[in-house]
Parts: sequence; C-alpha cells; structure tokens
Amino acid sequence: MPRRKKKATAEGEVEANLIPIMNIMLLLIPALLLAMEVASFAAVNVSPPKYAATADQKKEDEKKEEPLNLKVFIMEDGYRISAQGQQVGAEAGKSADSTRPTIPLAKPGAPLDDFERYDYAALEAQAKKFKQQFPNETVVTISAENTIPMQVLVSTMDALRGSECKLLKIAQGEEPPPECYFWQPIVEAGAG
Amino acid sequence: MTPEELFLKKKAAKKAARRNQPEEEGELKMTSLMDIVSIIVVYLLKSYGSDPIVITPTAGQKIPFSRADSPIQDGVPVYISTRDITFGDKKIVQLTSEGDIDPAAVKNHLIGPLFDAMSEEADKAKQMAEARGVEWEGRVIVVGDQKLKFSALVDVLFTAGRAEYREFAFCVIKTS
Repeated sequence: MPRRKKKATAEGEVEANLIPIMNIMLLLIPALLLAMEVASFAAVNVSPPKYAATADQKKEDEKKEEPLNLKVFIMEDGYRISAQGQQVGAEAGKSADSTRPTIPLAKPGAPLDDFERYDYAALEAQAKKFKQQFPNETVVTISAENTIPMQVLVSTMDALRGSECKLLKIAQGEEPPPECYFWQPIVEAGAG
Repeated sequence: MTPEELFLKKKAAKKAARRNQPEEEGELKMTSLMDIVSIIVVYLLKSYGSDPIVITPTAGQKIPFSRADSPIQDGVPVYISTRDITFGDKKIVQLTSEGDIDPAAVKNHLIGPLFDAMSEEADKAKQMAEARGVEWEGRVIVVGDQKLKFSALVDVLFTAGRAEYREFAFCVIKTS
C-alpha cells in the first residue's frame, strides 16, 4: 500500500477575521436596545379579600377596639369614606349617606374607563388629615362596586399611601416616613 | 535665508519625506471593542437575571400604572386580561365580553378551574420547599388589566386564598 505523502504546507497561523462579526454585533446591540420596551415593574402588596365577617371575628374586632377603622368605598359617583363607623360628610345623626359621596367625582359624567374621573388629590388630602389624627394607623380597607376598573383601585391605593411615600425604605427596615399614610390596604368585597 | 524661509523649507522637506514613505497598513484594534461588547452582554444578562420572576403580559393586556416602588418578590403570577385568565402558561377561564368571569366557572366567588390549577401548583411548590428545607411563602402576583372589573379581581383573590396562597401583590408599572 502506497504511503500517503505528507503535505508540506507553508501555511502560517490563520487568524480569524473578526471585523465583519463585530460590525454585525455593533449594529445588533443598539437595535435590540432600542427595540426593547423598558418598563420597570413594581408590586402593590394587598391583604386578601374579606367577605361577610363571622360573628366570632366581629367579637374579636370589638375587643381590639381599633380607633380609626378607615374604610374607603369606591362607587361610580365618587368615594365614600368612613372612619370609626361614621361616614365622613354624612348628614348629622346618620352613620352613612347613600345619596351623597364624601368625595364626588373630579370629572362628573366621564365614562368608567376614564381613570382620571376620581378626585385622587382630595382623597390624599383626606388621608393626610386622618394620618395627622392617628399617626400609628397604617391599615385601610378598600371596597368597590363591581364595575370599578383595576386602575382606579390601584390609583386609589396610591392616593391613600401618599404620593411622596417610598415604601422601599420601610422594606429595608427603616421607620415608616411621615409622608406615608395608609400603606397596608385590605381589599374587601361585597361591602360597598 | 530668513528664519521663516528656513522653516518653510524644512516643512517642505518633511512633507516630501512623508510622501515617499510606504503606506503603513492600518490595523484595527479589536481589544477595546471586545471589552465594550463584553460589558454590554454582561450588563444585559445581569439585568434580565436579577428579576426573581419574569412578567410577560398576555397580548393586548395593559398593566395598571402606579407610584408604588416595592420590588416584585418571588411568587406565582396569574394573568388576568379582559378576555381570559392565564395561569402557568395555560388559559384557564374565559371572560365574557362585559369583562365578567364565565358564570359557568364561578360558584360562590370560587373559580373552579383556577382553583384546581392553583391547588396543584401550591402542592408542588410546598413539596419543593419542604425538600429544600425552606418555608413556602405562598405568594400570588396578580397581573391584571387596567380595565379589569373589581368583581373579577376579588374572585381571583378569593380563589387564590382558598388554594392556600397567603400573600397577594398586584403587578404594576412603576411611574415617576
């Protein structure tokens, strides 16, 4: 069997030509960065919904003697706010007023999907007042009519928390700053 | 010869010498470019990898905006668009054109198919947590739509609660 002759090559070391690859990379990276939709997500922590409270729970609640018991009902015609079982702005001698909201709509007659129809600034001002009276309170119970969209619920939570409130500080173990009002919402169903 | 003339002569001589020189082959320095690319790749990988969960909203879903700044913690996402509820990459329940949950799937605020899927997932997660020797947190991240009705939202929360999930968070898009 004839032996295959070894090729005597005078080839030197071949270097890969990276320039075209780098050209593509340099074009691809800015293109991908521009195409990327940057949206930073955050979380609004809530407590689970409560339905009708049982008799035992009610007794327990009475024993605790919660001083504020702030409740915000989001209705189609505005906010009804009650504290210590008394609706704010209700007629004298009445605990609730079904004819008139505490904070009427900022844009009366606007459709339900117009999320700015509620007066969030007035709600925040009301929350600030309560916070000054009850500085240790952080819990608020929020309920809504069935048709209320989620964006309104989230914006209501924002207003009750305070527009300047940074909860990240609390998560890092710092004391709750004074600009944070009611940042522990409980979602309650069927109460409105 | 004046100094100015001398300077110009020297300059011309230098120019002629430069012209006669053979052109050097320009070489592209790749190291700095490679450095830039490596830094960008590492940065992008880190920014994607640092999120404990990846939120991928379903088509047409608009997530609510909020000023909240709390980071999203590890949990199980439930996607609720105006058309359906998705859990674990599966469309579980359809929503009606009015934005209500299919009445056939709901009984006393409990969404049957969603409860089954969430209970199964909770059991798996509990077993995994037990095997790792850590406590199961049972957190649900509700990725809802801006227009999601309150009634549908509370039904989902109630169902998650019945499936033994204890902590709830609404996923929102952070605004300044």
